[in-house]
Amino acid sequence: MAARIVNRIRRLRFDHDEMTQQELAHKVGCTRQTIVALEQGKYVPSLALAFEIARTFGVTIEEVFQYGK
Amino acid sequence: MAPLQKRALFSLVIGVVFTIALILIFIVKGDVTTFDDDLGFRFIVYALWVGVPLAYLIAVNLTLRKPEQIDERDKLIMARAARVQLLAVILSMAAWVIVLTEVFWEGGQVPVVFLTLIMISTLVVSTLAQSFGILIGYWRNWGMGGDGR
Repeated sequence: MAARIVNRIRRLRFDHDEMTQQELAHKVGCTRQTIVALEQGKYVPSLALAFEIARTFGVTIEEVFQYGK
Repeated sequence: MAPLQKRALFSLVIGVVFTIALILIFIVKGDVTTFDDDLGFRFIVYALWVGVPLAYLIAVNLTLRKPEQIDERDKLIMARAARVQLLAVILSMAAWVIVLTEVFWEGGQVPVVFLTLIMISTLVVSTLAQSFGILIGYWRNWGMGGDGR
């Protein structure tokens, strides 16, 4: 069975003063459309982007992304 | 829509309009040998040849002004789109070889004007295929994996 990576980016955005997708995109250095794709599960980020997102929210990478089957 | 997606859409529209305009001009003015004899015809083609890249540059500058408007996902999609571009160019060149061989086999000579036509068509096909590849990439979520898969 193929592994799937899920994330809590949308939840974390709302928990951080209702950060917008555009604000998050600007902070991590990607486009808003990439954040949209991430939240919809249509895109798996590179390690660098994943770490950047985790650092922006002040959490560990495992608290943002979960790897499961 | 992502900035790169917008650029690809503008490029596709400009490319299709340019191709249709070029084909129509050749149909209206006569066959390709008219290109050698008719100065006005050549000026129209040259004007298109200058005007269309200008329109393309304006579209690119309007939609992609900042470097950060292309991110890792966009770069992955562009890389995959390059395969579409290469395939389209190869097919285009193969089509020219087959058609010109069959049409001019008896005479044993191909008119010089076809050199210009092959160059123009290859550039147009390359640009159109890149734009088409990028749009397909966004539609089919190419670059799904951040590690390049």
